[in-house]
Amino acid sequence: MTSLVTARNVSKSFGPVRAVDNVSFEIEKGKITGLFGPNGAGKTTLLKALLGLTDCDGDLSVLGLDPFRQRKELMKNICFIADVAVLPRWIKVEQLLDFVEATHPNYSRKRSEELLARTKVRKDAKVRELSKGMVTQLHLSIITAVDARLLVLDEPTLGLDIIFRKEFYSNLLNDYFDGERTIFITTHQVEEIENLMTDIMFINDGRLLLNTSMESLAGKFVELVTSGENADKARQLGPIYERDVFGKKVMTFEGIDRDKVAAFGELHTPSVADLFVAKVKGAAA
Amino acid sequence: MITNQLALVRRELWEHRSIWITPAAVATITTLLAVAMVIAVAAFGEILNPDIEKIADATVPESVRRVALAGFLLGNTSVFLIAMWFLAIFYCLDALYAERKDKSILFWRSLPITDAETVVSKLLTAAIAIPLATMVAVIISHLLNLIIISIWLAAEGANPMRFIWGAVPLFDTWIAVTTILIAVPIWMAPLLGWFLFISAWAKRGPLLRAVLPIAILPILEYIVFRSWALGEAILTRLSIVTMPIFDSISHSGFDEDDLESILSENLSLVSWLDYGKFLTSIEVWTGLIVCGLFITAAIYVRRYRDES
Repeated sequence: MTSLVTARNVSKSFGPVRAVDNVSFEIEKGKITGLFGPNGAGKTTLLKALLGLTDCDGDLSVLGLDPFRQRKELMKNICFIADVAVLPRWIKVEQLLDFVEATHPNYSRKRSEELLARTKVRKDAKVRELSKGMVTQLHLSIITAVDARLLVLDEPTLGLDIIFRKEFYSNLLNDYFDGERTIFITTHQVEEIENLMTDIMFINDGRLLLNTSMESLAGKFVELVTSGENADKARQLGPIYERDVFGKKVMTFEGIDRDKVAAFGELHTPSVADLFVAKVKGAAA
Repeated sequence: MITNQLALVRRELWEHRSIWITPAAVATITTLLAVAMVIAVAAFGEILNPDIEKIADATVPESVRRVALAGFLLGNTSVFLIAMWFLAIFYCLDALYAERKDKSILFWRSLPITDAETVVSKLLTAAIAIPLATMVAVIISHLLNLIIISIWLAAEGANPMRFIWGAVPLFDTWIAVTTILIAVPIWMAPLLGWFLFISAWAKRGPLLRAVLPIAILPILEYIVFRSWALGEAILTRLSIVTMPIFDSISHSGFDEDDLESILSENLSLVSWLDYGKFLTSIEVWTGLIVCGLFITAAIYVRRYRDES
């Protein structure tokens, strides 16, 4: 396996605040990694460091390059959508395609035009005349047409309605992802990408709480639904988090043998959203 | 590198349409003024513009008519120069500010273009694209103005070929104007650099942040040191007529007497400009160095500042 991203002890401070605190991880080729964290957890700072938009301490290598010092070289092989609102509002769709074509060596205008033909985005329209969903379609049509090895998405569907959000991810999988390419994504809408991720990372207070593959999730975490005496017994086994649901206790265990807890109630593999809450709140407790 | 620069400058023309709208508007206004003047002359029989009076006077010698025509065209050009001055300054002030205000900077920075390339493209737009657009408009305005006067003369029974087209030092004027248009941004370079730097740096209100220091620092200098060196340097740069390229004539500006002495001796406007003085002037070169420092600072700010 080849690592596209290697981070070792990466930190970034803003004054006394450590936005990213000693983070180490690797992202391998062909993976779709989701990065989750509450607001202010350091997600965006980490992404910015990966994209060379901000300097950081520690060793960070993206596609074998130092992102901050070799940003131009890096941007030939990386695409990113930072937020839906970043396309300049004054530009015409056609001008935007002209500009990317002139400045990006790995861009296929033809591909963009094919993708746009499937949408309602007119080439003579200005970005400000497009709806939020159409702006995202336009942006996606551009980055999908770049033959990039790594795609970084930071809250790409923020503010979009559910139809556009669903369409965004289905287009992403159908038009961009081919097993050779790699996607790194952050979003608050965990449920939407739960089924397409291959790997998952949790970050809170600048530290990585979790970094694992989706496949190994079931082996590492188990959720027990229990009540009464059984709950007290199960609590002895040290759940990382416990919550109440309809009068029952739901406990999340990490790295425990399923057989040990099976006797106390019903077992599930936690959803990513529940696991996220368990890890973040559990770590805070 | 060059393809990127061309694409970047073209993008500036898309975004800042004032770069071509302003000179086009000035050309329209000067042309409409010429039409109004001709109509006024036809209606009231009195010519208010002394240059036009000389041009239309059959009794004046050829050399005087030449001077009058050149004076008329230069007067017309000066309006474009003033417009270009404002255009260049306001463009620079907006160039690196607008992309942060509309948050498109993250999109631009997602493309394989360095911050240096982007900032340099903004400077090139101010120093080359704006003068070029102005020059095109000046040429069109000159031709339209002369055509309007020709029509009027023809209607009055005079021969425009003799009064206008045979006498006007058109190409000489155009080459001289082009030279001046190239020299202006070089002369203004430290100011353009300053405005671009403020544009990259200011979180809001770039105009105020750009103007206040250049207004207050000279006053402080006067209060503390009782000297006016900085104020004088800034005022000199803000003015076009102080350029060393005009050193061979008096600093009083485009004086009719100067013109007369130059053109009556069959000299040209082009030969009247002091290129050597301009290119060897310490002021010009220090100005370019100061501009370079501000541009470097602007690149640094765009590259290192976290916009989140």
